[in-house]
Amino acid sequence: MTRLTPRFHVAAGIVAAVLLFGLLGPLVFRGHALGAVVGGLYDHPSGSAWLGTDNIGHDVFTNLMYGTRTSLTIGLVAGLFATLIGVVVGTLAGYRGGAVEEALMGVTNVILAIPSIVVLILISIALGTRSTLAMAVVLGVTSWPWTARAVRAQAASVRTREHLDVARLSGAGTFSLICYDVVPYMLSYLCMAFVLQVSSAVLNEAALSMLGLGPSGGVSLGIMLHWALAWESVRTGAWWAFVPPTVLLTLLAFALLMLQSSLDEVFNPRLRRFVRRRRTTVAAPPPAVRKAEAA
Amino acid sequence: MTDESVPRTSRRRFLTGVALAGAGAGFGGTLLTGCTGTGATGGKRAQTLFVAGFQWAPPTSFNPLNPNGCWPTAEDNMQLLYESLFGFNLLDGKLEPHLATGIAAPDAHTLTVSMQPKAAWHDGKPVTADDVVFTFSLARTHPEVPFASFFQFAKSITATDAHTVTIALDPAHPNPAMVKSLLAANYVLPQHVWAPIAAKNKQISQVPNMTPVGSGPYKLDKHSAAQVSYTRHDGYWGKAVRGKLPAPKYVVHPIFKDNAAGDLAFERGEVDVMQQFTPQIWKMWQDKHEPIGTWYDTAPYQVPGSIPMLVCNTTRKGLSDPRVRRALAYAIDYGRIAKTAMSQYSDPAKSSLILPRGVEQQYFDAQNVAQHGWSYDPAKSRSILENELHARKGSDGVYRLPDGTRLGPWTAQTPTGWSDWQTALQVVAENAKAAGFDVATKFPQAAQTTTAVQNGDFDLACWYVAGVSPASPWQRFRDVLDDRAVPKLGVSAFYNYGRFSNPHVPALIDRAATLTGAAAKAVYGQLDQIFMANAPMIPLMYRPVDFYEFNHGTWTGFPTSRNPSGPPQFRGAGIDWLYDLKPATS
Repeated sequence: MTRLTPRFHVAAGIVAAVLLFGLLGPLVFRGHALGAVVGGLYDHPSGSAWLGTDNIGHDVFTNLMYGTRTSLTIGLVAGLFATLIGVVVGTLAGYRGGAVEEALMGVTNVILAIPSIVVLILISIALGTRSTLAMAVVLGVTSWPWTARAVRAQAASVRTREHLDVARLSGAGTFSLICYDVVPYMLSYLCMAFVLQVSSAVLNEAALSMLGLGPSGGVSLGIMLHWALAWESVRTGAWWAFVPPTVLLTLLAFALLMLQSSLDEVFNPRLRRFVRRRRTTVAAPPPAVRKAEAA
Repeated sequence: MTDESVPRTSRRRFLTGVALAGAGAGFGGTLLTGCTGTGATGGKRAQTLFVAGFQWAPPTSFNPLNPNGCWPTAEDNMQLLYESLFGFNLLDGKLEPHLATGIAAPDAHTLTVSMQPKAAWHDGKPVTADDVVFTFSLARTHPEVPFASFFQFAKSITATDAHTVTIALDPAHPNPAMVKSLLAANYVLPQHVWAPIAAKNKQISQVPNMTPVGSGPYKLDKHSAAQVSYTRHDGYWGKAVRGKLPAPKYVVHPIFKDNAAGDLAFERGEVDVMQQFTPQIWKMWQDKHEPIGTWYDTAPYQVPGSIPMLVCNTTRKGLSDPRVRRALAYAIDYGRIAKTAMSQYSDPAKSSLILPRGVEQQYFDAQNVAQHGWSYDPAKSRSILENELHARKGSDGVYRLPDGTRLGPWTAQTPTGWSDWQTALQVVAENAKAAGFDVATKFPQAAQTTTAVQNGDFDLACWYVAGVSPASPWQRFRDVLDDRAVPKLGVSAFYNYGRFSNPHVPALIDRAATLTGAAAKAVYGQLDQIFMANAPMIPLMYRPVDFYEFNHGTWTGFPTSRNPSGPPQFRGAGIDWLYDLKPATS
C-alpha cells in the first residue's frame, strides 16, 4: 500500500479549498448577486464590499467567487478535452505502430511546432462572441499534442507486454484490447496528465482573458486581471482589484502542479523521496558514530 | 593534488554571483536606457517638452493627407510642423489667425480669406494664396484626401491675389460654418513640393513624405520606433507676428506601448503634457502630491468637447421602433457611466445633441430637454414598454412586442482596448438586461468595429459623432439625423450609421446651416425635439476633444480654468500655450 506524502495532502487541500470556494462560495456568501452595483470606481474595501469594488462598481469578492468558478469550469472541461484527444491519438499511434503511428505523430509534431498561444489568439478573435464552453473547447483542442506524444510512448511500451498476447489469443479485438488491456495500464499517467492539462488550461484562459479575449459577458480570474490592468489599478493603488485574482490563480496553478508531482511520487516508486531518505539513513550512519566506533 | 586544492564554486557562491551579475546588468541597463531615453537630450531636458498620447506606433508617414500620418502631421492636430489658415479655440468658438489674418463674408455666398503677408515655408519660399487653392483643389483630383467633402459645400476656390483667397459657397446649400471648419482643420501644403507629387501619384495619401516641408515653428528632427522629435525653427515667420517663438526648443513624443506606460512616465515627470485617458488622475496630486494638473482641479477636470453615442441600428427589428429606443434610453444610468466609465471626467449625459457647457451652451435649451428628453428612469422605461408598446415579459426576463418581436438578442459593440467606452457599454448592457432587453457586449478589433458600424452591420455600438468645431452643433445634428448622402446597408456611411430617416429633418438642417444666434437656437431646438422623440442615438457621456493633462515639474505656465491663458487643447488654437511656457527651474 502506497503512503500519500504530506505534499500530496497540502496540494489536495489547496485544490479542494479553491474548488469549494468557486463551487459552493456563491451559495454560502449571498451578500451581493453577480453584477450587482455596490459602489463606484475602485471603492476601498469596506463592511459591505469586503474586497472593495472593481472599475464598474461591482463587488470584487463576489466576482472572485464566480470568477474562480468560471476559471475552474474552463480548466476542467479543457483538461478533459485535451486529455481525451491526447489519449485517443497517442494510444492509437502507440498501439498500432507503423504507418498509423507515423501519420498521427507527424500531425502531432506539426501541431506542436505551432505556438499554441498564437492559434488560441487567432481562434478567439475569429469567434467574436465566446461562451465559457467554447473557450474551454478551444483551449482543449489546442493543447493535446504533448499528451498524445507521451501517451504514445507509454502505449508502445504496454503493447509489448505478455498479457496482451493472452488477450489476443482469447480473441479480443483491437478496440477491446485498447480499452481493457492498454489504457488501464496507463491510468496513473493519464491521471497526472489530466491534472497538468487542467493547470495549463486555467493559466491559458487567464492569459487570453488578460489580452481581452476571454469568455464574453462573464467573469473569470483572467477577466478580473484584464480590467484591473486596463483601469491601471496598480498605479491608482487599488490593490484589491489585482491581488485577489492573482493570489487565487497562483494558488490554484501551484497546487495543481504540486498535486501532479506528488501523484507522480505515489505512482512511481523510484521517486518516493521519503523511502530513499530512510534507506540512505540506514546505509550511512553519521561520521561521529563511526569515529566513536573507531575509538 | 587533492580535491580541496581546486577552487570549487559552492551553490551559494554561484547563486550570489548570478544575483550580483543580474543586479549589475539591471543597473547598467537602467543607465543605458537613461542615456537613450530622456537622457538623449542630456542637458537639453530643460529645453524639451515631452508630449504623449498621440503616437502609438513607429512613424511611417509624415503626410498630412494620410489619416494615419505621424503626430502631429495628420489632419487637425498640433500645428508644430504644418499649419492651417485658422486655429479653432474651443473655449470661445473663435477662429484665431494662423496662416490667415482673417475671414470675411462679403455676401451670403462668398467667403474671403486674407493671408499673412510674411508667412514662409521652411525652405524660405513664401506661403501664398496659390498654395491654399492648390491644397483644397486636391479634393477634386484626389478624392481620398481628408477634406474630400470640401466641394460639397464650396463651389469654387480661387486666388484673387497673392494673399487673398475667395471661396464661392454652394448657392443651393450655403454652409459657411462647414467651410470654415474644413479651413481650420486642414493643413496648407506647399505647392512647389506637392504639385509634382500630386501629378505623379494617384494615391497621394500613401506618399510617406519623410522629409516634410511645412510652415510651422518646428521642423522634424529625428524619428525612431521609440520616439519622434522636433526642433524649433528659429527663422519661423510667426515670430514677427507673435513677438516671440514657442518656449521649448525641442518637442519630443515618446512612443509608449499603451496608456498605462504613458501614465507612469507622466507621473514620474518624464512626460510634460499629454492627451490620454488616465483613470483617477486626481490621485496623482491628491494622494501622491505630484506637480500634476488638469483644466479644472475638481470634477469633471476636462472641458467637454464631444458626445460619444450609443448608436441604434434603426433597421433592426425591434430597434426600428422609436418607443423601444426611448425605453432603452430611459433604462440607462448616465450618472453611473460618468462616475465609473468616464472616471468623473463627464457630467451625466443629457438627452440633447448640444453640449450643455462651453461654446455650444448658447444653443442648449434646458427647458426643451426637460420637457421632451429622457433621463435615467427605469420605471418610465417599463411604462413605455408595457403601456405604450403593450409588450409582455417572457419567462426569460425579456420583453416581447405584441407582434412577437423579442427585444434582443442584441450586441453592443465598441473596439477592444477603448476601455472607457467598453465600460460604458457594460453599464448599458447591465441596465438594459435589468429593464427587460437582451443586450450583450462585444469588443472586436477596431478595424472590424469600424467596418461594422459604417456598413450598418451592428445592433448597438458606442461610436463618435462630430465634436466641437466651427461647424458644431450643426455637424452633429447632420451626423445623427440627416439621411441624405447616406448609402444603403452594406456600403460605408460616414455619418448616420444607424440609417435613421425623418422627413422633417433635411429642411431644418439646411435652414440651420445659414443661421446664427437666436434664430439658429430655435431651429436646433426643433431638431433636438425630433432627436428626443426618436432616439436614433443615445448620448452616453461627454468627452474632451483632447484630454489635457500636464506635469509642471519641468515646464510651468500651462493654462487652467483659473489661469485661462490658452485653450485646453493641442489642435487648432492649442499651439498658443506653447508660447507661454516657462522652464520650472528659472
